[in-house]
Amino acid sequence: MTHAYNNRSGVRYMTGGLKVYYVPWKPFLMQNTLPTFYGTLPIIRTILIREKISVVHGHQAFSTLCHEALMHARTMGYKVVFTDHSLYGFADVGSVHMNKVLQFTLADVTQAICVSHTSKENTVLRSGLPPEKVYVIPNAVDTAMFKPAPERLSNNEIVIVVISRLVYRKGADLLVEVIPEVCRLHPNVRFVIGGDGPKRVRLEEMREKHSLQDRVDMLGAVPHANVRSVLITGHIFLNSSLTEAFCIAILEAASCGLLTVSTCVGGVPEVLPDDMIVLAEPDPSDMVQAITKAINILPQIDPETMHLRMKKLYSWHDVARRTETVYDRALRCSSQPLLERLSRYLTCGAWAGKLFCLVMLIDCILWQFLQLWQPDRDIEVVADATLTSFLHEEMSRDSFFFFSGTIDDIS
Amino acid sequence: MDESSAAADSFENGRYKYIHDIHNGPPEAIDVHRIVLQRSSQKKLLIFCFLALLLFASPPFFFFVQQLNLLTTLPWSLLVGGLFVRLLSQKLVKKESVIILPAFGVQLETQYGSGRTIRRFVPISKILKPVLNECVTPVTCYWSLALIIRGEEELMLVFKELYPPVKMLVPIWKAICAAIDVEET
Repeated sequence: MTHAYNNRSGVRYMTGGLKVYYVPWKPFLMQNTLPTFYGTLPIIRTILIREKISVVHGHQAFSTLCHEALMHARTMGYKVVFTDHSLYGFADVGSVHMNKVLQFTLADVTQAICVSHTSKENTVLRSGLPPEKVYVIPNAVDTAMFKPAPERLSNNEIVIVVISRLVYRKGADLLVEVIPEVCRLHPNVRFVIGGDGPKRVRLEEMREKHSLQDRVDMLGAVPHANVRSVLITGHIFLNSSLTEAFCIAILEAASCGLLTVSTCVGGVPEVLPDDMIVLAEPDPSDMVQAITKAINILPQIDPETMHLRMKKLYSWHDVARRTETVYDRALRCSSQPLLERLSRYLTCGAWAGKLFCLVMLIDCILWQFLQLWQPDRDIEVVADATLTSFLHEEMSRDSFFFFSGTIDDIS
Repeated sequence: MDESSAAADSFENGRYKYIHDIHNGPPEAIDVHRIVLQRSSQKKLLIFCFLALLLFASPPFFFFVQQLNLLTTLPWSLLVGGLFVRLLSQKLVKKESVIILPAFGVQLETQYGSGRTIRRFVPISKILKPVLNECVTPVTCYWSLALIIRGEEELMLVFKELYPPVKMLVPIWKAICAAIDVEET
């Protein structure tokens, strides 16, 4: 279940019979809907009852729809799992508020999943959740799609690929310092930069200033389907993020047989084995040294061997299996009475705890009203669709449209 | 003309009642599917609207009553109440029917509480297929039956006002599909 994107709204069936509800709430900021607190209660209740849901799984701390869905699911007695995909700070105003909201959601969650051990530490510190409830399931990469180039590239000219959103968080400013220095030190090195963002202007300026037009290619935004074709043109992948819970980009690069140079932040050291990655501090001179080291080790790298290793190390089937284990544990947890749950909110803080209790109480009252207005038995349960016909026929999925609104998925 | 009708099927769920008749008169068997809003539901709706009006209109009404004589206001309030009930009965749907005339087309009827009936006829050649859609609104999710009309972009809703449950929509969908298949062969 997610909100509507452009004109994509209603119910859609994806590969494998995954049913997606695009609820027509308009997103207002960064793909997030306006926080309505109780506004989403009717539609979430209707969907949970008609699909006979047992576990509600929410993703991403920044998604307002996720927090609301988890809150309503807890009120209605469903088991709840939350996955956190990012690291957040503790210092600035935005982070403080975000952490409070997260504390509210996580105070009563059944289980939580983090994508790396660093992320687990971060989440536990921010939310005060007991560590026994948090599982670590790293993301994986589709190794079938990210294969190395059929022919090995020649080592005369070394191509360094950068694919990321050009924003402060992803270290675009570091790139501006590093690229001219590397071009000066190594005359046979070329850069390919894919991606777009507010910092693109700075990179263009850097190009002009040091006359690097023939040595730095700016590709603009690269759709995900074309990422592999950009990656296989390079020898080295450069990641300059300032913070990262888990970096799938370097997984994709390693699967394509590129040697990775990255800043040693967050969960990055946990992602790749030491011989596939060169780590550096997020400091321009340190990064230049790391790139030099990478260029020297390059002759020893075999893309095919790298790809085969990645195939064994990471697979989405493994992630699915581990997530299912988390769901089983969640289902086995006992249901708790309302008073006990409310007491957990009280531990969140002096005034925050009482506020959270109040919010949950109002939610419970609204739920009771909704049950009187439209009893549970009035909401029809959806029959299981026979999927064999979907797999074999070429059906236009758009025929299921009716109303023209970070993925929250409900399993 | 001797038309014998057999009640082939009928069942009800709290709010709606589904009735299926087959008229075996000449030239061919005519299928009639009716969905009736139950009396209890109609009454509930009326009571709810009345209460809502009482809640929202009474404060300004009482403000005016203090200044006027009660005798003159009483016939006015009765008139307004009567007009209101008439308006409501015009909007309130009593029943909707789908009459399938094989080889001719499908007639969709909507009958309101006041007796007014709106009929729409769709020739069988114009219907491409009936579809059962899952409609998602910001507050709820329900099933609806619609016809894909050849040459037109918009789907035509079979039941404009009522929201019958999917158990009642499925036999109607099957019957329309069967009628189209017979026509094509």
